[in-house]
Amino acid sequence: MSNTESFSLLELNEHIKEQLKLIFDRPIWVRAEISELHENATGHAYLELIEKDANTDRLLAKTKANCWSNTFRMLKPYFESATGKRLRAGMKVLVACTVEYHELYGISLNVKDIDPNFTLGDMARRRMEIIRRLQEDGIIDMNKELPFSQIPQRIAIISSATAAGYGDFMDQLKNNTEGFAFYTKLFPAVMQGEQTADSIVAALDKIFEHQEHFDAVVIIRGGGATAELSCFDNYELAFNCTQFPLPIITGIGHERDESIVDMVAHTRCKTPTAAAEFLISRLENAFDELLNYQHGIVSLTNSIMQNETLRLQKISAQVPRLSNELLFEQKNKLNLLTVQLKRESTQQAKEGLRTITNYSSDLERKLRLYLSRKQHQLELIEKEVQLSSPETLLKKGYSLTLKNGKILKSKTQVKTGDILVTKLQDGDITSLVS
Amino acid sequence: MAKQTKTYTESITELEEILAQIEHEELDVDVLTEKVQRAAELIKSCKEKLQKTDAQVQKILDEMDS
Repeated sequence: MSNTESFSLLELNEHIKEQLKLIFDRPIWVRAEISELHENATGHAYLELIEKDANTDRLLAKTKANCWSNTFRMLKPYFESATGKRLRAGMKVLVACTVEYHELYGISLNVKDIDPNFTLGDMARRRMEIIRRLQEDGIIDMNKELPFSQIPQRIAIISSATAAGYGDFMDQLKNNTEGFAFYTKLFPAVMQGEQTADSIVAALDKIFEHQEHFDAVVIIRGGGATAELSCFDNYELAFNCTQFPLPIITGIGHERDESIVDMVAHTRCKTPTAAAEFLISRLENAFDELLNYQHGIVSLTNSIMQNETLRLQKISAQVPRLSNELLFEQKNKLNLLTVQLKRESTQQAKEGLRTITNYSSDLERKLRLYLSRKQHQLELIEKEVQLSSPETLLKKGYSLTLKNGKILKSKTQVKTGDILVTKLQDGDITSLVS
Repeated sequence: MAKQTKTYTESITELEEILAQIEHEELDVDVLTEKVQRAAELIKSCKEKLQKTDAQVQKILDEMDS
């Protein structure tokens, strides 16, 4: 090109346009990050695509892009159903684009297609990154390792009051069939969008101040497959959850995917209703355990009492027999003794009688002998007396001489002049001593 | 664990002990009666805790700032 030759701007731009058309004659796949995304009333989408330095986050490239409504109408739901996420700023995407150049507007990319797997891959990578950080910090299992109350009745609920999930959860809990008592307190938070993580962390902070009044925290949200989970793939939020002193139960209403908060929670339930079911089932288990103890104790006690009753019956059945036997024995003994006694006493009585009879005849005989002897003695004495009696002597010719009534036995007793009386057989003679 | 559950857990532990005693020890009939009565008390209070609403507890929660 010589320096005398010049182009008008339009000519230049048209030339650039032609050249670009030659080089980029078909769509090419481009990896970029969406920094802006708008959809206008007609359904056309306008984007700004960027590339940042992986380490420094410094902006390296930026290009406008668009997607016409007939294409976007298809790509948007396709992307959402494949990733479970809404296409939005911040996402890394792989798009098939044609390079367009307009003389007036400059270069832009026209999006013809999108590969959701790339975005999924990026999302997965980001999640893995967060998980790795949590693992390295050694905290990832901390909430799971918390002891879970046997009877989780006092529940702190993090949810949105208007969320369908909250209503379902409360319904389930309050109307449980066994009539278990639950005590709940709602700590409202934003449950979708960019504010989610901060809002839930704030709620957790409030609950933390009253932790002794609760047995568990429940984070619930209604939704369905299209509701975004990415707000729960947040490091700060997961960090807070892992270290929270109460067990956290999630019921974020997502059938298919698990968010990071789901992963670090003590227990993950699929839906708010499932979370309520989980709590109720814990109480059911406790109740069943009680019933088991009750039945166990009752049946054991019954069988023990039955045994004791049988034992007692056996013994008491034996008592009459044994006591009758004893009685019978004693009666026999008594009879025997009585008979013996009779026999012995009759015997003895007979002997006694015999002895007495012997004695008495003996006595009689001896008495007679005695009497006769004595009589004999008496007779002898009588005879003697008779022989010796004064009458007998007087008859024989002897006489008694008395002085003053006294019998004289010696001549010395007499002196002259005494008056003496002499008794003879037929009378007295009175004499004077000369 | 909070105070409320501790009492429940303690009650359950006591029930387990009583059951084990009845099963494995030769208890005198009087002692047995005592134990069974105590067990009945424990079971009743545990059931109440599960099924009877304690207004006090809810009141504390209601008055909390959220």
